[in-house]
Amino acid sequence: MSALSLFYAGISYAGAVVFFGGLAYKLIGYALTPSPLKIPLTPQPASAAGVAWKAVGSILSFRALWNGDRWTWVGGYGLHLVLVFVFIRHLRLFLSPVPWPLADVQPFALLIGALLPLPLVYLMARRAAVDRYRQISSGADYFALALLLLIGLSGLSLKFLFHADVVGIKEFLLGLMLLSPVEVPEHPAFLVHFSLVLVLGFYFPFSKLIHAGGVLLSPTTMQADDAPDVRHVNPWGGQ
Amino acid sequence: MGTIDMAGKKLEVDEDGYLTNLDDWSREVAGEMAKGEGVEMTEAHWEVVDFLRQYYDEYKIAPMIRILTKEIGKKLGKEKGNTKYLYELYPGGPAKQACKIAGLPKPTGCV
Amino acid sequence: MAKEKFEIPSLEDALDTPPVRKGASGHLKIHPAPPQMMEKLGFPPALVEGWQKKAVDKLGELKEKYKSLKMFMEVCVKCGSCADKCHYFLGTGDPNNMPVGRQELMRKVYRKNFTAGGALFGGFARAGDMDEAALKDWTTYFYQCSQCRRCSVFCPFGIDTAEITMAAREIMDSVGAGHKYSLEVIAKVHDVGNNLGIPKPALSSTLEFLEEDVKEATGADVKFPVDAEGAEVLMITPSADFFSSPHVDSLVGYAKVFHAAGISWTFSSYASEFANFGMFIGNYAQMKKIAERIATVARDLGVKRIIVGECGHAWRVAYGFWDTLVGPFDTLEVKRPVHVCEFTNDLIKRGALKFDKTANDGFTVTYHDSCNVARASRMGESPEGQFDIPREVLKAACNKYVEMPDSVNREKTFCCGGGGGLLTDELMELRVKGAAPKTAALKRMMDEKGVNMMAMICAICKAQFTKVLPYYDIPMEVVGGVHQLVSNAIILGDK
Repeated sequence: MSALSLFYAGISYAGAVVFFGGLAYKLIGYALTPSPLKIPLTPQPASAAGVAWKAVGSILSFRALWNGDRWTWVGGYGLHLVLVFVFIRHLRLFLSPVPWPLADVQPFALLIGALLPLPLVYLMARRAAVDRYRQISSGADYFALALLLLIGLSGLSLKFLFHADVVGIKEFLLGLMLLSPVEVPEHPAFLVHFSLVLVLGFYFPFSKLIHAGGVLLSPTTMQADDAPDVRHVNPWGGQ
Repeated sequence: MGTIDMAGKKLEVDEDGYLTNLDDWSREVAGEMAKGEGVEMTEAHWEVVDFLRQYYDEYKIAPMIRILTKEIGKKLGKEKGNTKYLYELYPGGPAKQACKIAGLPKPTGCV
Repeated sequence: MAKEKFEIPSLEDALDTPPVRKGASGHLKIHPAPPQMMEKLGFPPALVEGWQKKAVDKLGELKEKYKSLKMFMEVCVKCGSCADKCHYFLGTGDPNNMPVGRQELMRKVYRKNFTAGGALFGGFARAGDMDEAALKDWTTYFYQCSQCRRCSVFCPFGIDTAEITMAAREIMDSVGAGHKYSLEVIAKVHDVGNNLGIPKPALSSTLEFLEEDVKEATGADVKFPVDAEGAEVLMITPSADFFSSPHVDSLVGYAKVFHAAGISWTFSSYASEFANFGMFIGNYAQMKKIAERIATVARDLGVKRIIVGECGHAWRVAYGFWDTLVGPFDTLEVKRPVHVCEFTNDLIKRGALKFDKTANDGFTVTYHDSCNVARASRMGESPEGQFDIPREVLKAACNKYVEMPDSVNREKTFCCGGGGGLLTDELMELRVKGAAPKTAALKRMMDEKGVNMMAMICAICKAQFTKVLPYYDIPMEVVGGVHQLVSNAIILGDK
């Protein structure tokens, strides 16, 4: 195996470990940190099922953001929606054979997924243009958007500019997944794209991108409003 | 905490200008404090101050505003026995401004 | 009053997003707690040696004790949805009063010390040390948050700045930098039993006065019992109800309701305070110690239930925290505290109270949702009972009732500007500016609907609005309690 392939195999595994391990570490860490007091943001359902139902609605609609800032909602919701299609578009590279519904939606997923740069540029511009957002935006906030943008552009270039060998890429990815790595496709645009994804994998769990999992654990939105009925004990409350 | 020169003496006061030692109070001090607050002391003002001090002497706390207004109503006429009139006398509030001039500690809490 | 020391916001655009004005409220200073007061509550008397590291250590400790703090430090994406939802930002334009701006004051330190990115790429990630400048920002802007939770309503992750503010104050107290107002109040509760420091003889004489006063006005023998053993109900109310106006008018209302319903009840001189400022300073032990007085009295007096008066944050503590802090209340028949509005509303629903609504015909009434009631508690069984029940009580007692617009109502209500331990004179400028959004809404109701009474169920809201509305040329008489209107209209039977 070439040195390049060895390098990519190694760094891919490291990336996977850091990404999945980091995600688990962070999210389990959140889950295990005590909630000394019940702090649901009311009005809130009194049952776990009610909370779950409400959370599904909130997450699918970005309700709070919709109520808070419609213009940011457009960008934020657009971004996440496009990312779903990007994910769908990429699933075919990791599944063999590709199950039929997935195969059928590929053209549509490509169509929507190709819009990725739009919400990213829009959100970046919004950060720079609105005085309140300029005020709160750090290099790291732009970095997250820029990283996604570069990943998106390099990915799109594989499709539309420097045609990449999808079969070779799929073999490479499946090889990694099945723990029998094969040679990495020596396609410069692919290597750029893939390297950037690895950067994202390393970065994700230890940055604000952890919000993707954190949204499911937030005490204010995920606790039920059941104080009158269910006794809540503070593990360090000393009683 | 700090001190102010008043009635020819150095008196200790808190950050908001309330006397730290109740015994430092005199009518002269009250007069000067009132001036600092932009309050011109009249007979009616003194009635309030006197009642506050008398009540504080007995109970170690300023009276409820309602008790104060009723007392002032008794002394100065029923039409003056209300919060509105007290605020006319002490625009900074009967609890805070009048207590300050009367040399009482500042009321604390949700007031 | 020296009204010209600062600019009073215009009510015309008080609900609009202002331009960012850096440092606009950076000059506001709190009174530091004096050393003996700090020590009394178990804090170091003054800023300790090596406070920089100790503050960071404390932050590290708290993030492992509070899931809220750890997650809220880490999951914010800085979308900006909260940015213009804080009344203090709307009133001042100071970017550190944007909820995310305020949170960032702590995140800066958090990133530097507890994240790899912050440690490696400080400036890029906006990470910073806990130093003089940071402490100055903390002592300024964490005392410009009233812990009202309005920002979290608009946060996709429910990030609650109140949790961060509480932690910040706890950290500052722990290294010897405390705020006089809250600590003085807490010390008085420990010494005397209530925020105001009303000793028992004064309390008794005040209540006797009220008995006579009500007798004079109504002819009825409405009692205001204190420390009465064998009473069915222990009534816990903010001590401002024993002192201030219009607070006392609601207190009279509670007594009349008990009288009309024929239910035996009592105040306690030992637990003569509903408020719990331990929450404002984010100190669990203090919060527990303050609540303990009430639990003790409830057991000693052998009451069947606890009914609580009109106080916003205290209802949050009672409803959500009491059982965890000092429960279970096994000796009670009703194990959970009952809000006086729930109590009165139940009696109304059962036909046990009669009203002469015309007694309130001089008022066109609206209702101000207090933040802790609205966004941190509930009343009754329905998830929106905290909104509906006080309104039902008002409608039972008044003929003319109108609603505030949705954008400032119910869970979107604006804080009065004085909550969270900020009801202190040195912050008057902030209080006046922070009151602007809700006051603007009120002013519109006054102009368009003829409103002349804004009823509420929070002692802080009442005190704050009576003080700040005159800055906007609105008379303080517009402020009232829900049970004040009940008091006006209730028909006292001969029970």
